[in-house]
Amino acid sequence: MLKLEHIYKWVSAGGRRIFLLNDLSLKVEKGEFLSVMGPSGSGKSTLLNIIAMLDEFQEGEYYFEEEAIHQLKSKKRTEIFNQNIGFIFQAYHLLDDLTVYENIETPLLYKNVKSSERKALVGDILDRFNIVGKKDLFPHQLSGGQQQLVGIARALIIKPKLILADEPTGNLNSKQSDEIMQLFQDLNKEGVTIIQATHSESNAKYGSRTIHLLDGSVSKK
Amino acid sequence: MFKNFIKISWRRIKADKTFSFINILGLAIGLTITLLLFLFVMQERSFDQMYVNKERIYRVIFHTTDKRDNEIWATVPAALKPAASEEIPEVERSARLWDHDFGKTASIEANQEQFTEPKLYYADREFFDIFQLEFIHGSAQNQLEKPNSIVLSESTAKKYFGNANPIGEIISIDNKKKMEVTGVYKDFPSNSSLDGNMIASFSSVGFYNDPTWGNASFETYFLLTENADVASVRNKLQDVVDTNVPKEDQWYTLGLQPLERMHLFSSNIKSAYSSKIGSIEEVRNFSLLAILILLIACINYMNLATARSQKSTKDVGINKTLGAPSKLLILRFFTETGFVTLLAIILSIILTVTTIPLFENIVGTELSLHFLWSFQFIAAIIGIWIITTFIAGSFPAFHLSKFSPMEVIRSGKDKESFTALLRKGLVVVQFSASIILIISAIVIYNQLEFIRNKNLGYNPENTLAVSIAAVNSENEQETLIKEFEVLPEVSSATMTQGYPGISVSGRSLYKNMNSDEAMSLQTNRATGGVVETLQLKLLAGKDLPENKQEGDSIVDVVLNKKAVEFLGISPQEAIGKNLIAQLGPNAYVIGVVDDFNFSSLRSPIGGYAFNNGFEPLRYMLVRFKTEDLPETLDSFKNRFNQVVPSSAFDYNFLDKNVEKMYERDQRTASIALTFAGLAIFVACLGLFGLAAFMAEQRTKEIGVRKVLGASVAGITRLLTKDFIKLVLIALIIGFPMAYWLVNKWLQEFVYRIEINYQIFLYAGIIAIFIALATVSFQAIKAAISNPVNSLRNE
Repeated sequence: MLKLEHIYKWVSAGGRRIFLLNDLSLKVEKGEFLSVMGPSGSGKSTLLNIIAMLDEFQEGEYYFEEEAIHQLKSKKRTEIFNQNIGFIFQAYHLLDDLTVYENIETPLLYKNVKSSERKALVGDILDRFNIVGKKDLFPHQLSGGQQQLVGIARALIIKPKLILADEPTGNLNSKQSDEIMQLFQDLNKEGVTIIQATHSESNAKYGSRTIHLLDGSVSKK
Repeated sequence: MFKNFIKISWRRIKADKTFSFINILGLAIGLTITLLLFLFVMQERSFDQMYVNKERIYRVIFHTTDKRDNEIWATVPAALKPAASEEIPEVERSARLWDHDFGKTASIEANQEQFTEPKLYYADREFFDIFQLEFIHGSAQNQLEKPNSIVLSESTAKKYFGNANPIGEIISIDNKKKMEVTGVYKDFPSNSSLDGNMIASFSSVGFYNDPTWGNASFETYFLLTENADVASVRNKLQDVVDTNVPKEDQWYTLGLQPLERMHLFSSNIKSAYSSKIGSIEEVRNFSLLAILILLIACINYMNLATARSQKSTKDVGINKTLGAPSKLLILRFFTETGFVTLLAIILSIILTVTTIPLFENIVGTELSLHFLWSFQFIAAIIGIWIITTFIAGSFPAFHLSKFSPMEVIRSGKDKESFTALLRKGLVVVQFSASIILIISAIVIYNQLEFIRNKNLGYNPENTLAVSIAAVNSENEQETLIKEFEVLPEVSSATMTQGYPGISVSGRSLYKNMNSDEAMSLQTNRATGGVVETLQLKLLAGKDLPENKQEGDSIVDVVLNKKAVEFLGISPQEAIGKNLIAQLGPNAYVIGVVDDFNFSSLRSPIGGYAFNNGFEPLRYMLVRFKTEDLPETLDSFKNRFNQVVPSSAFDYNFLDKNVEKMYERDQRTASIALTFAGLAIFVACLGLFGLAAFMAEQRTKEIGVRKVLGASVAGITRLLTKDFIKLVLIALIIGFPMAYWLVNKWLQEFVYRIEINYQIFLYAGIIAIFIALATVSFQAIKAAISNPVNSLRNE
């Protein structure tokens, strides 16, 4: 599904380069559930952002479904991202001014999906996540687990081929955390490719493969 | 999508009520002022637009030569009209207008009742061909043809005769002339420069049969033929003068003023009949003010938007990861701003309609309300809405939407340095504008106080000018003044042709018999006691004598110091001197008074002469003392009516008249004051909101500092320091601009205050104090809050 080859990313501080990613190569197959582990600052989030095409890198090559991302203009990249990738944040990042229903609906609005179709899609996903009763609530009226559920629902609504989850359970307790992981596993079984960054060994175990990052490189497979 | 944006906007407004309130109120105040001023400007620009022939109507204007002070008059000689209509083919119609008795109030008897009428004109019969007014009674044709015929305005007819048809009724003017009413016309619209209440036929007055080229006292209007070349008509006017007036008597040239420029471009034209003279500068200044205040309000919005940008940037980031294109986000921010400005506009329309009476009071003119429904006004509202939305919304829309999602989602921070700088810049602009307004208001106020308290050289207080134009014989006048002098309230009385503050006769004073060198001299015929009544300071000689023999050809003159200085002699030397001043061969100086301000303080004092010559006496000046003014006036009225029962008691206070000269300035002052106040209020609203957000943003910092032992005072200082710095910068920018502006305004006055440093000091203190008061409320609130609460938020 995607292939990273010799990716370098650095920032300059005080005239010196600090490497966030250092000669990183990675291949992810369709249908995988990859867990990326590593201590704080090892580059997990940077990696995810680069895969999501939200962030740039200085050297290396990135192929997403045979498309050479590093050669594309940012507009085209954004288009590919919008079509294929759902992003889930540690801090949920729901839109405070919108209800649960509207939050989930928003990506569809940006894709110019017709109103009737939107209704059906959002209805399905609310059903599936068992949050129909909460559809008119605002984010601050929900618990963290519920907020993350909405976040995931929002990421899934565009039927992405790839889900990127940056510490999706970082702010949740273990019970909520297990529920989310269970959900990921189910989604994976349905054919969605998932890459998650996590601190937790137990979360990582839900995945089909785990890689460890250290100082911006893959340390062992 | 769009619906969604509006929904979000509405929720955001509801979510942060204080914030929205400040935003909407600030904008609404700015918009209200803009709309009110726009109404005013519209009204001023609509003047004289109602006349069918407006493009072809011109007023002849009169330029005096260098020797005659280079003045521009609205009145020209009576002989011009017949000559021009004969000799200039482009003049299709022409009409003269004469203000009754050179601008005096007429005393009217109609339906056995007494009235006074300040707006009685005499006009040639073509008048209604040029200015086509609608007639209610009688026809528009053939009016003003017969001598002693008169037409009335609708409201005047109603006042005199009620609802009856007045045609054929007889009206007596000043007990001298009887006029027959031949028609009633619809009142001149309020935005017409011409505004006669009664118009009599010009053939009723002596000038009709005997027009001269010497007396320039008649407004004259031309209706030119279609496609007439105005420049060539101007040349032909000069030809007319050349053929009719010998070169040595040509102390003037003639020009043409289009009707459409009459209202706004006549402030330097003297002796115009219209009392409704606008000023293009005023229109420009008001427009500028409106823009300034709207800008302040827009800046508020932008400021508060930048303060809130932290939340907005996060929103932008999330939306971008959800696939929102920048264009859509720009649209979203504009929708949000547009929604807020729409609410502000709706509020401001309500405010505008309700504050119109208040505004009318401030500017001193009535606004016609039909402008509210005019296409122009509605278009202006929509235009202002769009412009405001664009200005106010441009920052969030363009600045925030261009961020890449990474930048903002990570830290939730946008490039603080830029927004902070912009915010600071905006606060500085806002306060500079406020300071300019404060200083202007202080200076204008001081100058007007200065004028009010200036020693005018005579004492206008407790002096009454009673019109005696309707008192026919000199004997009756004598009786009247004797009757008044015995009243206990009256300390002295005199009869005059005019009084300081109104125009008298203009003559020339020559240095000596053989000299061409002359100065213009205002001459005012008076009787004995004029120096005493006006409380002038006598430098040499004596007051005019009480009695003058009938048929005595000697004219006694009391000159002012300026005139004596022109002659190059001392006041003492002047006594007994024969005067060459067009006052007859036997004019002798009998007294010299110190200079006094007989006209506006805008112009320097010129030559002035009281004399007991031969012009008609029109006023009785009465100096009185009173404890109870209404009662005194009552007794004056009774006494007046005992002597002249057939005339109305028409009077004027001299000090009121002086005040009237500065009405326009008073208006400028009250507008400057009101707007300065409002501008500062709006600016403070913004500052208040801004301070609240700064405090909120720094909650954690404040908490940490308090835990580390900072005092309340220390934290308050920390939060206010930045703002005060900005206000100080604003002072530095605002001071020179304000100085330049007020200095320019003051140049109009010959007698003016000095601009001293204290004014700037006060303005600075006011600005700093207001800023401090606004900001410290928030600062103290933040400083006294419990640090545990603020730190727990993390």
